[in-house]
Amino acid sequence: MRVRGFKSRHDAVFFLTLLAPSTLVISFYVLLIKVLSEYSAPAFQAFGPRLITGAEWDPSRPAYGLLPAILGTIATSAVAIVIALPVAVCVTVFLNEFCPKVMARVLSSVINVMAGMPSIVYGLWGAMVLPDFLKNYVMLPLSRYLGFIPLFSCTPVSGWTLFTAGVLLAVMIVPYVASLTIEAYAQVPAGVREALLSIGARPHLVCRELLKLIAPAVVGAALLGLGRAAGETIAVSLVVGNVNYIPYCLFLPGETVSALIANNFPEASSYPLMINALYAAGVALLALGFVLNVAGLVLMGRWRRLVGNV
Amino acid sequence: MSDVVEKLEDAALAVVAGLVTVAALVPYASIIVSTFINGFKAVSAVGLWDFLTSLPPAPGSGGYGGVGPSLAGTLMLTAVSTALGVPLSLLIALLTTEFPRNPFSKLIKGLVKGLLELPTIMAGMVIYTIVVIPMGTPSVLAGALALTVVMLPYVTTYFETYLGSVPRAYREAGYAIGLSRAGVVWRVALPLVKRGVLVGSLIGVSRALGETAPLLFTLGAARYYYPSSITGPGDSISLLIYNFAMMPYPNLQSVAWGAALILLASYLVVSLAIHLCVRGVEA
Repeated sequence: MRVRGFKSRHDAVFFLTLLAPSTLVISFYVLLIKVLSEYSAPAFQAFGPRLITGAEWDPSRPAYGLLPAILGTIATSAVAIVIALPVAVCVTVFLNEFCPKVMARVLSSVINVMAGMPSIVYGLWGAMVLPDFLKNYVMLPLSRYLGFIPLFSCTPVSGWTLFTAGVLLAVMIVPYVASLTIEAYAQVPAGVREALLSIGARPHLVCRELLKLIAPAVVGAALLGLGRAAGETIAVSLVVGNVNYIPYCLFLPGETVSALIANNFPEASSYPLMINALYAAGVALLALGFVLNVAGLVLMGRWRRLVGNV
Repeated sequence: MSDVVEKLEDAALAVVAGLVTVAALVPYASIIVSTFINGFKAVSAVGLWDFLTSLPPAPGSGGYGGVGPSLAGTLMLTAVSTALGVPLSLLIALLTTEFPRNPFSKLIKGLVKGLLELPTIMAGMVIYTIVVIPMGTPSVLAGALALTVVMLPYVTTYFETYLGSVPRAYREAGYAIGLSRAGVVWRVALPLVKRGVLVGSLIGVSRALGETAPLLFTLGAARYYYPSSITGPGDSISLLIYNFAMMPYPNLQSVAWGAALILLASYLVVSLAIHLCVRGVEA
């Protein structure tokens, strides 16, 4: 007997056997949506749009505004990608064009291992080693000589700032972003390179043309890197300073959405509506990550199809 | 003349790219060196065995101590989450590779990929709501469930590429002697990917070892006594580092470095094992 869509009844049974446990994934998503909507709804009802646009975080009133944390997430992720993307592109070019084969293999293993390193190890280093170094050798000089730029306008009091969190995030996402750009660079059909070489193009020209060709993949990698940076919790909450003000300067302590959740969730049930505000923060975090990741994946997908067609 | 300019441009590009690459390696070297130096101080203050088995020092006591209960918790968490996550990942990967055109397979494949981008703290929030609240207590089991969610997409993706690499001819040979699709998977594909299952498990272990955010609200941070059962509170090495790094006590910060050394060393060993196994599979 045949079941529609399957070669035999055996096949259909096998399919159902595999499908049954796999539906656990679907049920996790259903629970995620159910939990987030149920628990965040009271906060949205009580505070309305002020939940997103408000700047106050005062459990005693209660008033919960997520704007400082949302801006903090955007600021730290932006700093991270501004640093990480050029580095990733340089590593890609160096690895593919100028580096001996053996060294390239070692480097890409190192990149893989660093990409998977526990974020708490980055976090501990970020909390203990990075702040003093950045304060004395980067933030103080920047605020002294480039203080006319609004983002650099304040003198850092401590090393635990939005800028420090951004730099730490950059260190954490460079391996991830670089692995994506390296993959894209390697996927360029050999014919393109040969064509360029055959008209006598020098290495820097070959590089420039190949980078132009993989531009959509680089943008996609940047967006995926931003998504990673926005979702990172542990390392950021150790260095960002956890102060809930609207950030007008990068050298001030601040807050990010994920760090806000991590720091307030354990005691949240003792304050009215706080736990609901934190689930709403989760919704905001998910929405932000969703936009970045979908945009990034679409660009990467378009790029892969492009390469596939050549 | 222009030839000289071109040569200079080549050299400039090589130098810039090379220098940036070398500079980019500095933070990672600094992380590893500072973890080894500070961690070694903490471990050698009490000796390796005592560090791995004794209790952490009390806050403000100024004394040294170890990470015994946290290490036990990490081992339990890793065992439970790998035991749950690896078989489930294998089944999902079989579904998406054996029935790639089926709409359900496509949906599940997409959802699993989506888990990769889920902020790991969200996994903790969901498990907190659906497991910790009903049970009335944070537990090793709840932590392990959150870790399972986090490791699932990594392990599944690995199995998918691995199962996809079983040569067509082997499968066709199976069909030719009258095996059903399940028979081919059982007798042909799975025996070929035995080592793949090992690598997949190691990938799961390497994720479970170091994750912190999913455990924040689910595990309970009970680090001054050994966990007695998986339904009771526990601790992990990663959570201990996170909490102690925020404390203003130098002796606790030192224990955090020691714990980070243990974690980093375990992660590097597991990564090396994965690397060697993958090489062996590809050869």
